[in-house]
Amino acid sequence: MTVREFVFGDPDVCTGCMICVNVCSMHYFKVIGPAWSRARVMRVEPGLDFPLFCRNCEDAPCIGSCPEEALSRTSKGVVIVNNKKCQGHGACIAACPYDAIKLNPDTQKAIKCIQCGRCVERCPVNAIWITTEEELKEKDSDGRLAGHYERNKEVLYSKGGMS
Amino acid sequence: MIKGIGGNIIWVDLAKGEIEKRPVEEDMVRHYLLGAGYLSRVIFDMVPVGTDPLSSRNVLGIATGLLTASMFPQASRHVVAALSPLTDVWGESHAAGFWGPELKLAGYDAILFTGASSDPVYLNIENRKVELLDASKIWGTSVFQTDDWIREKHDRQSRVLSIGQAGENLVRFAAVMNDRDRASARSGLGAVMGAKKLKAVSVRGTGKIEVADPQNYLKQMDIFYERMLANPFTEERAKYGTTNLVELMDHIGRLPSYNMKQGVFEGYEKISGETITREYLVKPRSDWSCLQRCGRYTRVKDGPYKYIGGSPEFESQSSLGSRCGNDNIESILYSHHLSNLYGMDTISLGGTISWAMEAWDEGLITEEDTGGIDLSWGNHETIVRLTKMIALREGFGDILAEGSARAAEKIGRGTEKFVMAVKKQEMAGQEPRAQKSMGLAAVTAARGADHLYSFPVLDEAGFDDEIRERFGEQYLPEMADRLNPKYKGIMVKECEDFMVVVESVGLCKYGTQIPPEFYYEDVALALKIHNGLEFTVEELQTIGERIVNLNRLFNVARGVTRSDDQLPNRLTKEKAPKGPPKGQVVELDQMLDEYYQMRGWDVETGMPLKSTLERLGLAKDAEGVV
Repeated sequence: MTVREFVFGDPDVCTGCMICVNVCSMHYFKVIGPAWSRARVMRVEPGLDFPLFCRNCEDAPCIGSCPEEALSRTSKGVVIVNNKKCQGHGACIAACPYDAIKLNPDTQKAIKCIQCGRCVERCPVNAIWITTEEELKEKDSDGRLAGHYERNKEVLYSKGGMS
Repeated sequence: MIKGIGGNIIWVDLAKGEIEKRPVEEDMVRHYLLGAGYLSRVIFDMVPVGTDPLSSRNVLGIATGLLTASMFPQASRHVVAALSPLTDVWGESHAAGFWGPELKLAGYDAILFTGASSDPVYLNIENRKVELLDASKIWGTSVFQTDDWIREKHDRQSRVLSIGQAGENLVRFAAVMNDRDRASARSGLGAVMGAKKLKAVSVRGTGKIEVADPQNYLKQMDIFYERMLANPFTEERAKYGTTNLVELMDHIGRLPSYNMKQGVFEGYEKISGETITREYLVKPRSDWSCLQRCGRYTRVKDGPYKYIGGSPEFESQSSLGSRCGNDNIESILYSHHLSNLYGMDTISLGGTISWAMEAWDEGLITEEDTGGIDLSWGNHETIVRLTKMIALREGFGDILAEGSARAAEKIGRGTEKFVMAVKKQEMAGQEPRAQKSMGLAAVTAARGADHLYSFPVLDEAGFDDEIRERFGEQYLPEMADRLNPKYKGIMVKECEDFMVVVESVGLCKYGTQIPPEFYYEDVALALKIHNGLEFTVEELQTIGERIVNLNRLFNVARGVTRSDDQLPNRLTKEKAPKGPPKGQVVELDQMLDEYYQMRGWDVETGMPLKSTLERLGLAKDAEGVV
């Protein structure tokens, strides 16, 4: 059985500095530009900063949505995009419940977080970490984190804050 | 071509409603960088002597630096500049946030506003689309309401810079706000926006920044990150922001209290960083690429001063607190919050109220003047009430909205001697009898009383090693001694040169000056890998000197001489009455002599010498001025 890991962030701890976003776009595409990043950060007042990433869903609706079958899950449990197959239809973007996929504005190929952990290493306040659903449930036993995400889901996943 | 920038400047003629985009000129960058240096040049050239700061002939500039939106630590900043309606001389102010980086991502580095609109407008930028739009629906609303309205209308991810009611009402110390609670507060530039009927500038940029050396970029930035995070100041800064300077400054007698009568405050613990951190802190907040995270987010849960929002830093605690004899922390937090909503500089606000409080205490201002408002020291209800009345220019607030110097001139009766200002701008929270360099810095700063133009903090907290490194062994121990005026002219001059460079590349004074982690060679390296620009340390130093001298010429042209580079008599003639600096005065003349000599300025007049201007390529600018 593969372990489905994902990057997750604490909006009470995140200060909103965008370093995770910038590290990602610079690492993969050698540019600074949130639209080129697989991570995003949304500031929601009062006082919350959400670092947002692919949640590596069990049912992964992105995989089934692609007419080109460009998305798949690897043996390590990571959902990846096959650039040769991706035609930039955007069906995966529409299917993703977490607004975690976007099209690289240059190549028009889908990009998404593959849990490489580069951003986690660079976060100056340890607001983000790689976790699993089980681990997260344990860590968030009082439901503080889940509550933040649930209460703000309409803003976070409105398809309006993609970059 | 210069890498790592937006590449274009937006010119907006508000009278005609015309918008033009022009490319960034490399020759200009070689001489002035971007940011503060760029605006110094443009505004010097465009604003004629004799211009009323609140007339359509003033030019308002907003500019990012060469490294704004880079991954260098604390690279979030932009600068706002114009002829100041508070000082009538050079006005500039800076802020952190996300607005500057967003402008870069939209493809621009600066915006220049000329003329004035007849009706309220705002400039909306969405990548290539730049348009002036009707602001009548948000005219009269607060900074937060404006932010909400614009992001609701255009894009939730838009970054908004705006004025509140204070700017609209031409309060002479109105701020230009961005990202809700970030303030370009000094110099009253919010009133310039108000006079131009420009309510806001909103930006949405979804482009990218291509850097000069992408292969080595992350590796080098990692080194900068590691150095910043390893610096012991970072942890302290993250924990308290600047709020615990209250207790540190009280400890050395540098906490302005009772309108700068003294530098210690008996109620300091109640308004301290410890108190804020323990009782009111929600979390630290960062701006773009910021590792220092001095921003605070705070809440007062109940009572008349209930609020949640971006919170104060040391200057507000001292100006609205100790300076007014006020130890009610919740009123300080709330008045600061109101200042964010209305868009006002808390330093000048507290400086003006504390002037009025001392004049009241001396019986020179009475209920007849105030309309029944009690101005006793520490009356926190009055402070909060006046915050609103000043922003809205109601009653006695209308006079105070002119700032303490003009208010004293109007009221007279000897109240002038309680004005703690230089060039009509209220002094910041640095009691200079306890740190002499700060007294000198306050008078030499181009924008009037100011601690940041030079930010001479190397004598503040035991930075002997950095003094040795930056200046040389021969200046120790005197330069590191807060109370010794010796070598402070040298220090303030060097700090000014470096700080204007920092303001021209879009970095923060945290990390470059306190703690003094990054210096010229680091900035030069960053300019190389980010922008592809090769500058030697000497070239950057010369640019810093050039900017300072151009700012000086701007002021000299408007009549500034040595006689304007003066502190209030209280600080140079009255001995500090208590605390560690007891018995001290500021030996200003001695420091000024040294400073002018270091600058290559005439010691009698304070004017730049011809040879200095020639060396800096400014001789032509002095024609008809010097």
